[in-house]
Amino acid sequence: MIRFIYYPLIQAHYLYNEKEVKDEIKNIFYDVFQNINENNFVWDKQQKDYENWDSFTQLNLITLSEAKFNISLTLDESIEIKSANELFECIKVHLI
Amino acid sequence: MNIINNLENNSKEFPNKIAIIFEDQKISYKELYDEVKKKSLKINNFDKEVISLVSENSISFITMYLGIIKSGRTVHIIPPEISETNFNNQIKSAKSQTIICSENVFDKILKFTKNNIPILKISELEKQLESKENNFKENQIAHLIFTSGTTSTPKGAGITHNMLNFTTKNIIDVLGYLISDIDILPLPLYHSFGLGCIYTSLTIGSTIILHKDASNIENLLNSIKKYHATTFSAIPATLIKILKFENFDLTNCFSNIRLIITNSTAIPKTTVQKYKEILKKGNLATYYGLTEASRSTFMIFEKNSSRDESVGKSAPGVSIKIDNEEIWIKGKNVISKYWNNTIADESIKNGWLKTGDVGFLDDENYLFLKGRKDDIINIGGEKVLPIEIEEVVKQIPDVIDAVAFGIKNEIFGQVIKLNIVKSNESNLDKVKILIHCMKNLEKFKIPNKIDFVEEIPKTSYGKVKRFMLK
Repeated sequence: MIRFIYYPLIQAHYLYNEKEVKDEIKNIFYDVFQNINENNFVWDKQQKDYENWDSFTQLNLITLSEAKFNISLTLDESIEIKSANELFECIKVHLI
Repeated sequence: MNIINNLENNSKEFPNKIAIIFEDQKISYKELYDEVKKKSLKINNFDKEVISLVSENSISFITMYLGIIKSGRTVHIIPPEISETNFNNQIKSAKSQTIICSENVFDKILKFTKNNIPILKISELEKQLESKENNFKENQIAHLIFTSGTTSTPKGAGITHNMLNFTTKNIIDVLGYLISDIDILPLPLYHSFGLGCIYTSLTIGSTIILHKDASNIENLLNSIKKYHATTFSAIPATLIKILKFENFDLTNCFSNIRLIITNSTAIPKTTVQKYKEILKKGNLATYYGLTEASRSTFMIFEKNSSRDESVGKSAPGVSIKIDNEEIWIKGKNVISKYWNNTIADESIKNGWLKTGDVGFLDDENYLFLKGRKDDIINIGGEKVLPIEIEEVVKQIPDVIDAVAFGIKNEIFGQVIKLNIVKSNESNLDKVKILIHCMKNLEKFKIPNKIDFVEEIPKTSYGKVKRFMLK
């Protein structure tokens, strides 16, 4: 079943499905990690298993997510994100 | 030899030669010297050491300035657009005892003035009695300029006649100014760039076509053609605006120009290269200097030069060193101390002035500027100069202007904020900017916050007022 999420950046009252949000998150990872692509992207891969996911990378993931979805994450939320999946869950809360 | 001696000599040698043209007014060397002498005799009647002068560009500004220095007094030069707070801070610090101003700013200055300092219109000086002639010593302070605009705390720099003589000689020698030159001058005279051009022309005996300002580009270009100008002095922002002025055949317009002098606020490499193409028999030149260390380097952009981003080599008799990335200057153009400001004096050690500018010297001692030390953004220990980010962002089509600066952050101490002016009706968004930065910058240099703004606050001189950024 496709779930719809409110997605304010594209246009007001636009309902955006989960797949589209997930695609956008994948794109964020491709832009931030320039060695990640469709072939090696893993939703559950943890921060510690990435070679170059340091505090600056974390900051850039959050910054680009906030810009794409026109949301603002709290400091606690920003710190807790440790995988693509966790980023998706966090963004979802802000879009619903 | 100082400017007054030179002016006197010129007035005897070629009395009828036009010294300055301003709008529909002309003044010859003899008329100019006579007017300066007359004003100085009236000023001599004042028992005051420091006289503040507030005026927009005009012939009266020049005769008043020269009249005051001829009388052995110090001119405290105040920009006409000064704010009330800055005005009162300056008057207090300068210990000014009289304010002379133009007709246009009189009401504003009268409203600003909080004490009983006499305020006089330039035109009212005529009514004053004349006194006996007075002379000045070369080590006396000729003028006092407060370095304001780019920082929140103005510092007074008192410039002696000796310093001005030294700098003027360097300008003439290095840039090869000639008695036959006709200089188009749209720079504010309350700034050392514009004032230096006046010193140069009146010393060598050439002609100045003075403009009120540089806001009307068409007017400037017409002036260059009308007067067959040979030299042109302008800030980089004016030079960039001219390149966008499509109604003019610029190569033809500048065909008689042998020198365009600009100054050290960032001049893009592409602008330098375009002027190299436009100027068929001339050169673009720049200099690096501060009010308190005027014209410390010179750079003439020769056609084959590969250093289009440099501000040149140190001026004759001036030394430059880099200590911990910061530029230090020593020479006869450098002040020995600030005006009644012992805190600011800490930046002068054994004759070396710590400029607060970050830069480097290449293997042939050409100086390159990187930004202001105070502007460095510290992101979790990684230090970033705003210019590195601004240059990358300005590569994006539709970005008209951009400024990067640090904002507080709980985790990193500071993160980078970017304010952007984009072209009208552009669909440029924050995501596109971030992705461009991620492709072209190290990860600690990626902006964390982006705002689209109408304009970036700048001084009339084109420098970003960083203390106003939010």
